[in-house]
Amino acid sequence: MFSHSLSFFFSPLQSRLYAAQTAHKVESTGTGEHVKFQPQDVQVTRLPSGLVIASLENYSPASKIGVFVKAGCRYETHENLGVTHLLRLASNLTTKGASAFKICRGIEAVGGSLSVTSSRENMIYTIDCLRDDIDTVMEYLINVTTAPEFRPWEVKELTPRVKVDKARAAQSAQIAVVESLHQVAYKNALCNSLYCPDYMVGNFNSEHLHQFVQNNFTSARMALVGLGVDHAVLKQVGEQFLNIRSGAGTTGAKAQYCGGEIRLQNADSLVHSAVVSQSAAAGTSEALAFSVLQHLLGAGPHVKRGSNASSKIVQGVAKATTDPFDVSAFNASYSDSGLFGIYTISQAAAAGNVIKAALAQVKAVADGGVTAVDLTRAKAQLKGQFLMSLETSESLLEAMGTQALAEGSYHSLEEVSKSIDNISLTDVANAAKKFVSGKKSMASNGNLKTTPFVDEI
Amino acid sequence: MASKAPAATGRLLVGFQKWYYNLCGFNKLGLVRDDTLYEDADVKEAVKRLPENVYNDRVFRLKRAMDLSMKHQILPKDQWTKYEEDIRYLKPYLDEVIREREERQEWMKK
Repeated sequence: MFSHSLSFFFSPLQSRLYAAQTAHKVESTGTGEHVKFQPQDVQVTRLPSGLVIASLENYSPASKIGVFVKAGCRYETHENLGVTHLLRLASNLTTKGASAFKICRGIEAVGGSLSVTSSRENMIYTIDCLRDDIDTVMEYLINVTTAPEFRPWEVKELTPRVKVDKARAAQSAQIAVVESLHQVAYKNALCNSLYCPDYMVGNFNSEHLHQFVQNNFTSARMALVGLGVDHAVLKQVGEQFLNIRSGAGTTGAKAQYCGGEIRLQNADSLVHSAVVSQSAAAGTSEALAFSVLQHLLGAGPHVKRGSNASSKIVQGVAKATTDPFDVSAFNASYSDSGLFGIYTISQAAAAGNVIKAALAQVKAVADGGVTAVDLTRAKAQLKGQFLMSLETSESLLEAMGTQALAEGSYHSLEEVSKSIDNISLTDVANAAKKFVSGKKSMASNGNLKTTPFVDEI
Repeated sequence: MASKAPAATGRLLVGFQKWYYNLCGFNKLGLVRDDTLYEDADVKEAVKRLPENVYNDRVFRLKRAMDLSMKHQILPKDQWTKYEEDIRYLKPYLDEVIREREERQEWMKK
């Protein structure tokens, strides 16, 4: 019933991964005093099975390896809504190759960490460790992603954790607004929540999880991404161990935007509200124009506790109210759709004025009220934010992984900077026009006495 | 002749086991062997993992047996558990629990 072959996966791996330490391209300058590390580019390989391997050798003593799977909550069906929430919590359960106890203690013993995040598009299993321990932790990572057992009693014990997750999410007005915004903006796929719906809590059994993994965790929908590992080593691991299920799995539906409104009335004195319309799919130049527009309008403060004076919408809203407020442009891109709009937080009494003033600023941009100076500033901010985000290993790994999954390649920084430079005033104005004329979706949370309905804006 | 000997001892062994099984007498109360295990921590954990219907059957047999025992009765002979029908329903779960415990103990020794 419970077959345990502990050496099932990994006996051949041990010796091979140690080779990673000798594989650094170390070039001695002759004197032996200076060791030069040649800067490396991101290497991407697509295996015949469809699995994408992406890695960057950064010579760091700490390595980070991630398995990216196209299995976010958009691939849930009506029968298993919320299964990805459970799956995200199920990463430390017993697998065919290692027990829950062994995974936990084994990773702890080498000071590593295993984490799982999931977005609407992807599930991301990441493991951090020191370079010398790659072989140990890789064993657990592969077991978790390819050979979970989902024992019924272990799955049952996840229910309290689902409840805690939901209770914590319920504390956040932002999560409530963004989740319900997606729910009303789309008819399918992207409308699914990252959190398990109430009626499914406690109703999942191991069969649900097995089926979802069976349908979605296939080689063609996975990417193995590494920072601080040798590409050849990663490739070998991919070829040997990440080929459990071939094919493309079940195909997800294309997201259909419909637009809608949801009002979550409660006693909060602050009103959180998002007004969006459909933008563009990630990776297109139109999506980039929306990103520039986001920074043009204001994407959050650049100086801590600063007045955010360069932001168009903050300037506009400041004229409309004297109460404290926070507004920023909202931009979310997915593989086949996107949402762009404004996100406002304001006092209940001022909500109507704040939202209208913010929308008026977007309209002004659509009408051509943008100067070349504004555009240059917005581009500099976008580039700065983009490049600085890649300085942390988390964001770099995520950027590599999502691009590897979506396109099977990696765009160099120069390429991206160049495409940002190519965005023109008309592109940005067109993006703003698309928002202004598009069908709106709106989600509001708080005391909504002055918050307008979507047809009133 | 030599080849028949093990078969003969095998039969004998089964015969002895059957005799001993009936001698124990719990089958006359409708119990099966895994119902009679002393409930230490391992058994308790294994019982927790049983699928619901198997667990319910176990509870039913135990209650029936306690009732019979209280009344100093046994079941009619046609309802006795037969040696051949005694399935070790708890064993796979119990083995797993023990294996997990041993893994933990092994780790602690390191």
